[in-house]
Amino acid sequence: MKKLRLGLWVVTLGFVTAALFHPTWVLLQPVYRYLMVVDITQSMHARDYHLLGLPSERLAFAKAALEQAILNLPCGSQIGLGIFTHKDTELLLEPLEVCQHAPSLRTALRNIDWRSAWAADSFIAYGLFDALRAAEGLQADLVFLTDGDQFPKTPSDPGFFGRPARGWLVGVGGMRPVPIPKLDFEGRLLGYWQITDLSRDRDLLPRRAELLLSRLDETHLRQLANITGLEYFQLMTPQQLVQNLRRPDLAKTLPTEVDLRPWLGALAFFAALAAMLI
Amino acid sequence: MPEIGFAHPLWLFLLPLATLPYLPFARRQLPYPALAVLTGIASTTWPEKLHKACSCAFLSCLIVSASCPFVKEQKVARLGQGAHIVLTIDHSSSMNENFSGRYFGGSAHETKSAAARRLLIEFIRRRPKDLFGVVAFSTAPRQVLPLTADKEAIIAAVGALGMRGRGLTNIAPGLAMALETFRGQPLTGSRVILLVSDGGARIDPDVQDRLRQDFQDLAVNLYWVYLRNPSGVSVLNPPKRRLSETSAPEIFLHQYFQTLGVPYRVFEAENPQSLAQAIATVETLENRPLPYFETLPRRDLSPYGFGLALILGVPLLSWAALEIERWLA
Repeated sequence: MKKLRLGLWVVTLGFVTAALFHPTWVLLQPVYRYLMVVDITQSMHARDYHLLGLPSERLAFAKAALEQAILNLPCGSQIGLGIFTHKDTELLLEPLEVCQHAPSLRTALRNIDWRSAWAADSFIAYGLFDALRAAEGLQADLVFLTDGDQFPKTPSDPGFFGRPARGWLVGVGGMRPVPIPKLDFEGRLLGYWQITDLSRDRDLLPRRAELLLSRLDETHLRQLANITGLEYFQLMTPQQLVQNLRRPDLAKTLPTEVDLRPWLGALAFFAALAAMLI
Repeated sequence: MPEIGFAHPLWLFLLPLATLPYLPFARRQLPYPALAVLTGIASTTWPEKLHKACSCAFLSCLIVSASCPFVKEQKVARLGQGAHIVLTIDHSSSMNENFSGRYFGGSAHETKSAAARRLLIEFIRRRPKDLFGVVAFSTAPRQVLPLTADKEAIIAAVGALGMRGRGLTNIAPGLAMALETFRGQPLTGSRVILLVSDGGARIDPDVQDRLRQDFQDLAVNLYWVYLRNPSGVSVLNPPKRRLSETSAPEIFLHQYFQTLGVPYRVFEAENPQSLAQAIATVETLENRPLPYFETLPRRDLSPYGFGLALILGVPLLSWAALEIERWLA
């Protein structure tokens, strides 16, 4: 009995001494590296989300969903931000780690403003290809959020000659056509865009005095997703975005060190307890 | 007062188990033939009390160390030299050219935008105490980050400007947005707008008045780093010919900036070297007292815990070694 007790004490002190050397275990943790690009053109003002506690505007909803994603990606993941308008994607932030830089990422995301748009037209294919080039340069997967609504309507898209990419093309908005609010520079509602507001020579729409309606153009977005290798889904809830972004096959692995001291401490504790009680 | 945190607080639920040495069933029972021979009750003698206290302390020590306590990172107010700087950076398409005005020079010259980006990042790294904000502008401005101490985020924002620029150099909205960054912030140090652009643009008279008012109200100093093409007009040595606002907007912009009523300097940079020099000058200019917060990193306490446990454990081990199970006469 004495020998056993003595042995347990020796083991206990062995664990304590081992813990003093700060041993760690290297684990491969799944992390993600995304470039998130948000469409900031006029049609993103359309209000067709109806979820309690979340904004109804497409742009604001997309931003709220992205914020959830930033908060819910595992530590070590990195997120870059960009905006899309006209034919181009502009990078705002190079990828930053989500836990340490969450406040900055969230501020930058909230600062995304439709007034930063430098033109009112949008050519989604060009913007998407531009974003794909940027993502490739940053070695990140792309998350491109747009409602697919394109003005002026173009009969065909440019060809895609890049490498097939990984990531998501996220459709923002609903299937039912809704009017697009027309805002002044302070963000106050002036009315709704009318077909007659469009300049005469560019649109292919019949000229009638009626509201310009916008809906999520899924067909076009699916097509673009197909030719670029991205996957398409329609944004319904922030949780669904988080779930899709955390899909294991999009993860990269990051070696992380797991601290072994708590376990050594606990082993020492139970060994000592056993030595005292037997 | 430093705050203590635990990296793995769940282990602390084991803490009640540390009282086990005091509970009756932890007492060892020895068959002993003649109690009358014993002089005292073993559990009340001082070595026994000390042993119990030691065991209890040892167990508690182990659990607390296993939960990895640390002193939380602290922010300490210090007074240093520095400034609040909003980097207002031109990201128009002309910034893609190199300093000789060509897109791709014969020799590997970097573009104006890349040179500015590289030097600004070095500048940010050298100024740990300053708060930085980033506003980028071309045709339309965008505020990427308000004033923040998160240097890595600022560097990521400046780094993002390495992508191809687009659009025109539209200075007024960019300046207005940079000024907005200071509004409502406490005036705790010198405020600087560091405008990096490769050209000017005409500003409407009424916008000029509004900007001047804001510069004065918010007490913001302006430094303009003008990245000049060799063929472009020089602001410091204007040509003698008659100038118009369309052919040489930079000169008119310079004249307007001089009427702002706040400290203003212009730096002309014709190559990366003079750009570096201009940034170095700004650095020496803006060194006024500035209260700032230094973040002390978190300090791990568990090595101390395990060390204490070891110190307590060695006597306990020797105690166990001294135990006599049976008298052997």
